Amino acid sequence: MNQAGQKQENASDFVFPKSYNFPPFFSPQPTALTREAQLRKWSIFIQRYCRHHRIFQLTIIEALDTPLFHNATLKKRLSLKDAKAVIDYMVSKAGDERAEWLGPEKASAWIWWRKPEEWATLIAAWVDETGQKGTVLTLYELVQGETTEKQEFYGLDMEVLRKSLQTLVKKGKAQVFGAEDQQGVKFF
Amino acid sequence: MFLKKPDLTAGCRPTLAPDETLLVVQDGVGLYEGKYKIASCQKGHAYLTSHRACYVDDADPRANSWAIDLKDVERHEYQAGFLKSSPKITLYSKPVKRGFGSASRSAVTQSPAFQRITSASSPSSRSTSPFRPSRDSPAELPVVVGTWVCPICSFSNPVPSNFDPTIATEAFPLPPCLACGIKPPFATVLKAAIAANAKHVPESIPPSEVASDQGSQPRVNRSYDDGNTSNTIPCPRCTFHNHPGMRACEICSAPLPKPIHLQRVELEESLARSGSPGPEISGLTLEEGQQPSSVKFSFRTGGDKVFYDRLKNAMIQRKWLLQIAPPIPRTDIDPVSRPFNSESSTPPASRPVSVGIAGLEQRGLQTRKINETVLGNAFEDLEALMASAKDVVALAERFAVESGTGLGLSSPTSDPVLSQSAAALGMVTTKDVLGDSSNSLYVSELARNLAEYATDDRRGILRGQGGTMSLVDLWAMFNRSQNGVELVSPSDFRKAAEAWVKLGLPVKLRRFKSGLLVVQRRDASDEKTISQIKEWLNYLKATEVEQVLPWDWKTYGFGVTAQQAASRFGWSLGVATEELEMAEERGALCREEGVEGLKFWLNFLLEDE
Repeated sequence: MNQAGQKQENASDFVFPKSYNFPPFFSPQPTALTREAQLRKWSIFIQRYCRHHRIFQLTIIEALDTPLFHNATLKKRLSLKDAKAVIDYMVSKAGDERAEWLGPEKASAWIWWRKPEEWATLIAAWVDETGQKGTVLTLYELVQGETTEKQEFYGLDMEVLRKSLQTLVKKGKAQVFGAEDQQGVKFF
Repeated sequence: MFLKKPDLTAGCRPTLAPDETLLVVQDGVGLYEGKYKIASCQKGHAYLTSHRACYVDDADPRANSWAIDLKDVERHEYQAGFLKSSPKITLYSKPVKRGFGSASRSAVTQSPAFQRITSASSPSSRSTSPFRPSRDSPAELPVVVGTWVCPICSFSNPVPSNFDPTIATEAFPLPPCLACGIKPPFATVLKAAIAANAKHVPESIPPSEVASDQGSQPRVNRSYDDGNTSNTIPCPRCTFHNHPGMRACEICSAPLPKPIHLQRVELEESLARSGSPGPEISGLTLEEGQQPSSVKFSFRTGGDKVFYDRLKNAMIQRKWLLQIAPPIPRTDIDPVSRPFNSESSTPPASRPVSVGIAGLEQRGLQTRKINETVLGNAFEDLEALMASAKDVVALAERFAVESGTGLGLSSPTSDPVLSQSAAALGMVTTKDVLGDSSNSLYVSELARNLAEYATDDRRGILRGQGGTMSLVDLWAMFNRSQNGVELVSPSDFRKAAEAWVKLGLPVKLRRFKSGLLVVQRRDASDEKTISQIKEWLNYLKATEVEQVLPWDWKTYGFGVTAQQAASRFGWSLGVATEELEMAEERGALCREEGVEGLKFWLNFLLEDE
């Protein structure tokens, strides 16, 4: 709590939201209105946490013991069931589809702190900016290359990258070709 | 004052004097002043107590309730119902002594012979109108005297007193026939009124003459004595010569013109059974000199017989005399000292003054002796027991209190309440009190009774429970206070509780989400409760704590359990849980489930960060 004044996106210190220290935050609320507010807060918190730690894919069972779902000072944690309920909310329309389950068993999920479309816009803007329209770029080059080091999508998960490029392909703004790990992309 | 305003309890029932007991209650009762319906008092409850007969209006009990002291009642009369006319009980007031009136008034009270006559009638029946036996009526209404004969049953009905043949139109609301209840044709009444006007005007006596007649006391006596032999009264309608004692013609039952000296008419007798839609006055105001001479209770929904029986008994028993009577002298004990509070009573002058421990011991000895006598006398035989019931009950209660405190058994809150017996409760509704066995009346009376019980300031039952108590608790407490007699069944109790809101009583029944039924003051609301809880939680924020807490308690305060809330607000645990959950449901609180149990916090989840 007392680090509230410090700089936010400092690599090591993630500033937890105030609610994180509010004990009822960890108990599912029975009242619809309160529950809605609680889930929204959880959703925002998870997105911020994942963005800070650049987590794209969250395995629920593993995350339960991380500070995300476990507040050691309060000795409060979210149960597996409650955590899944939170992710369920994020998956739903009401939660702005900020998550996506990886399978029907709901073991892990994509956390879309930035949705594929949003990544796509970001990449397209960069391509446009640097005048690389029409050139072929490898996917590896896009997320691991020296030129994109300063960009937000640097180090982007390959799976996420493919998903976001697909949205561009659908719009007819890009073309993806190549084999499994030698894929390239050409922007129009 | 014949009619009085009774004090009403919280349950809108008349407040009883210490020795007064409730005898019977009847609903669906209307009130008449003399012959006139009082429009504002047509649907209410009649309460007969050992001292009074009360009318309590259903719609506006505070404004339209009246009580008649039975000690002011000279005579009572019962009329059976007939066709559309409900059974009625008439109470006639005793002649009232008036300071301002006239010499004639005091003369009346002095003469035994005259007293006999007036007492049988109203003291104020000297107006020229036979329909309105009160002094002031001639000034109020254009009086038309006359009778119209019903074309259906040929009963002779009076022309309504406010019917003026010169201005009346077809639209005039004619009262139906008093016997058969059929409305007469307008022409019939008009003709009768005109005929009557023509006939009666010369006959009517100027009021001044009447007044002077009243004053001449000897003449009244004389002519009353003479009347047996000479003065026959010819009937104005059929010309039959009636006995001077007759008020209505023996042949055609037309009202007879009265010999002046006897012109005090018993209208309720001669024109019995006014139909229900009879003449009406809009309201009753108690102005000086406007006291009605008689008051009628009309029993629209029955119950008249029981009421009348008990009224007769009450009039015979004359319990009100006991109030002023000295206590029954006790043999061989000091008559001044009462058996159970000899300490508090003022010591008689004759008692030898003793001080110190010896004095105290002597006093204790005396008290014990008196108690012994009371118990000894009381249990001698059944009659003695009944006679001294009050003393014995009081003694028993005192013993109960003493033994309870001695053993340290009484819990601080509820036990003093429970140790009070039904006798101390005073007005307890039992099925016995109600005339007919109509259950709805029982329920509504019970509802009033319970409302009084729960809100009574002396016991403070509801207040002691933080303004909210579960219905079951109230039921248990109420029945325990009945000392095992006349217990109320759960279903009746529930029905009575449900009737509270309908009857406009100061308590209400509330159902929580879980189905728990609780009793609350009528003005209690969820908003009030929530603001109370919030206030308390905000107050907790300001308290200092010693140990370091992992959360920011200056912002969030503390979570509270139902137990804490219960002890804070005086609620029972069930009520506290329900109230907290209610507040949670309204979004004021949120919950924390943990190893320490369920705690409730101010709802910061709804606030933006």
